[in-house]
Amino acid sequence: MTISAERPTEVNDMGDGPPDFIAQPKLRRHGLLGQHLGTAIIGGFLGYILGHWLGNYIASGYPYIANSGQNSIAVLLALALMVLGWLIGIGALNYPFAKMLGREAKGEVEYQGWTRYFRYNLDHKVVGIQYVVGVLVFFFTGGLLAMAIRTELLNPTVHVFSADTYIKIVSEHGTIMMMMASSVVVGPLGNYFVPLMIGARRMAFPRIEAFSFWIFSAGYLVIFSALFFGGFPTGWTGYAPLQTQAGPGMISYLFGFAIISIGMMAAGFNLAVTIINYRAPGMTWSRVPIFVWSIIATAALLTLASPVLLAAGLFGILDKTVQTAFYVTEHGGSSYLWENLFWFFGHPEVYIMALPGFGIVGEILPVFARKPLFAYRIAAAGMIGVALLSFFVWQHHLFQSGINPDMRPLFMLTTELISIPTGFIFLVGMGTLYKARIRYEVPMLFCMAVYFNFLIGGVSGVFLSDVPVNVTVHGGFFVLSHFHYTIMGGLIFAFFAGLYFWLPKMTGKKMNKKLGLWHFWTMFVFFNLTFFPMFIIGLLGQPRRVFTYAKNLQTLNDFSSISAFLLGASFLIFVANIMWSQFISPEKSPANPWDSLGLEWQTATPIPIYNFERIPVIMTDPYHYSEPGAPALADFGQATMAASASPPSSSTSADQ
Amino acid sequence: MTDIIKDSHGMSDTPEEREFELRAHIGSIWSGGRLFIGMYTFLIASLAFSYFYLRSSNNGLLWRPDHVTGPTAYGWAIWSLTMLAAGMAIFGRRRFRKGNSADWMIAGWVGLSAALLALFLQVWEWQKIPFYPGSSGYASTFIGYTIINLLTIAIVVYWLETTLARALRLRKELGGENAEYSMHPSAQSFRANVASMTYFLGFVAIASTLMFAMFYLL
Repeated sequence: MTISAERPTEVNDMGDGPPDFIAQPKLRRHGLLGQHLGTAIIGGFLGYILGHWLGNYIASGYPYIANSGQNSIAVLLALALMVLGWLIGIGALNYPFAKMLGREAKGEVEYQGWTRYFRYNLDHKVVGIQYVVGVLVFFFTGGLLAMAIRTELLNPTVHVFSADTYIKIVSEHGTIMMMMASSVVVGPLGNYFVPLMIGARRMAFPRIEAFSFWIFSAGYLVIFSALFFGGFPTGWTGYAPLQTQAGPGMISYLFGFAIISIGMMAAGFNLAVTIINYRAPGMTWSRVPIFVWSIIATAALLTLASPVLLAAGLFGILDKTVQTAFYVTEHGGSSYLWENLFWFFGHPEVYIMALPGFGIVGEILPVFARKPLFAYRIAAAGMIGVALLSFFVWQHHLFQSGINPDMRPLFMLTTELISIPTGFIFLVGMGTLYKARIRYEVPMLFCMAVYFNFLIGGVSGVFLSDVPVNVTVHGGFFVLSHFHYTIMGGLIFAFFAGLYFWLPKMTGKKMNKKLGLWHFWTMFVFFNLTFFPMFIIGLLGQPRRVFTYAKNLQTLNDFSSISAFLLGASFLIFVANIMWSQFISPEKSPANPWDSLGLEWQTATPIPIYNFERIPVIMTDPYHYSEPGAPALADFGQATMAASASPPSSSTSADQ
Repeated sequence: MTDIIKDSHGMSDTPEEREFELRAHIGSIWSGGRLFIGMYTFLIASLAFSYFYLRSSNNGLLWRPDHVTGPTAYGWAIWSLTMLAAGMAIFGRRRFRKGNSADWMIAGWVGLSAALLALFLQVWEWQKIPFYPGSSGYASTFIGYTIINLLTIAIVVYWLETTLARALRLRKELGGENAEYSMHPSAQSFRANVASMTYFLGFVAIASTLMFAMFYLL
């Protein structure tokens, strides 16, 4: 039997349900009893205490540890058992333990009410919302640290922080932001919208999905704990031998990255398997939305690159605790080994961050341009091409160290090569906008800004791939400005485009347009005023991660710092918009406020717990904007058509 | 026209939808198992890269002074037991596919016992290592290898144990029907899981052999 356009009409009662892994979720309302964030905090706290005691007990017999005041084993065990307690407390390990007794999944219990957001929930929509809050907490923490950095750089001679404190703030800022950026789209929007966009009623592995969020949040606690262990002085790249020499805060960095890498693997694994297996009937690969293409390319990178980070972190932890010498050159190791392992993950990581941003923009542009996505297949091929090539460029991070100079042209070439599929994706956007009657709504403005910013970030990246330029500007503000333009100017702007675009579907409430416009313009203007001067500052020779600089650069630094403060303030407008639109003065959003043809907009709002009352049968791709006689997107079955406030045919006909 | 099946919670599915969900579920186990192998390959490749990187760098001539080696007897024992566990899983699945569930169960329990013993020996080996962890590049990578091998064997133990425990319960659920031939969704899911697990153990056998050769024989 296969699902076809022939739709059922008769209803039978069946007391004996199907096996749990294909059954629909059971609804339950829960109070404060059971497992939730509170029990996770208690579990984490108890685990921390136990681990710290255990570490001190184990290591107290070694005089060199007892006398050093730095017991890395105690710090590691405290953090490890804290994470374990956190996971036990939230209920992440209930099912793995139950499996040992031969039990299969007990059906997906979906808690109702607001408490579900504080639980180990298996509904991908709840996990998506949890991720939204999680990444914003990461983002604002990293943002506050950025404000501290810019405050210090207001004056080259009058200092707010010591040099030591400054580098630790920079390190914490970079690490938190990178951890956040690796999940900022995949976590919230990927988990929430991929099943909806492919016509699925569930994720392939909902427990792994929920696990990915809760271990991601544990990773935040771990990396934040570095501040209480004295921080770490290596920047986000954690280079040895500084890594080896650093205090216990380095354990937080290494263990934090290892934890986050497990979360990234889990998220990517689940999304990839879901996209491969749960696409609705009729959704061939040529009908998959471009956002989903970007997510599957990213998922491939997450699953294959993150294990290398895990191994690198493990080796670093072994160096710090059991005194191995992976990264200690004097004992037969090599500090360059860390660089290689780190960047073998680190460069695909750049595309883990960039690709979902391209996916969002590719998804939103046709909606507001009212045109089909230009060269859809090239966009999809470009994303796969970027994902593949990203594994072959990591050595360009080692142009100045740890590489045979004869190998540099090869990696210069591969790095320049990757700009070709990236350029495809860029040109797909331009082709979509060409001769379009664009509606300049807030999400669209953010998308346009992505192209503007990424053009600057991308072109400066091509400069940096050339060895002579790289040798000249390496380690300075030019590089810093380049990657802020690509990550913040590309990814974070795309993330906000996605939030403004999809929040009405996620919450059923409209975002305030006026506040949205204020947010966009202040963020766009002050982002460019903050980071563009840094290209000049870098070319004039200011190095990264140093808290003082030449006096003649103060004007540019002050300009950049003041712009950064105003950029920070622009996010307060976003917070105010969220508070106003969602809580203080909520206004119901139309079912399909942007007249999108996307499948995610064709189901009812609020979205049923099982997404679609009937599994849709897909008839075409979702980009037939303004095409007379365009086919209907999907057959949703009679029941769903009745429940949905905006059936697909209405959107299509509106365009005709 | 087909029926809508309504469960006790008032939600409904058509038989076609349930079949679609089942196919997707089984496909997920299949592709998930393969993807997991891909992930694990990169983890092990990181260790192999470290091994050869430090070996070729030979910084301070401290890659492997005096050609020190991990406890070879333990290495042989752990490798043999891992191979036995993998071999039993592969043999058991062949028997299972011919409808002989009892053989599969026996092979599974033997494999699990072997894997548990390997796990124990891998931990115990730390007591017997004849060099300081940071004494050389080889010593460091050897410690890294023992950790990753421990993790690998622990995954094998967990997967084997949960599959065997599931098989015991499944017998009751199927009311004596043979899990290999039953069309019950739980049986289909179980078969997909056994196939993925066996595939992973085959991968473990290959990876363990390569690692064993690197750390004990080269």
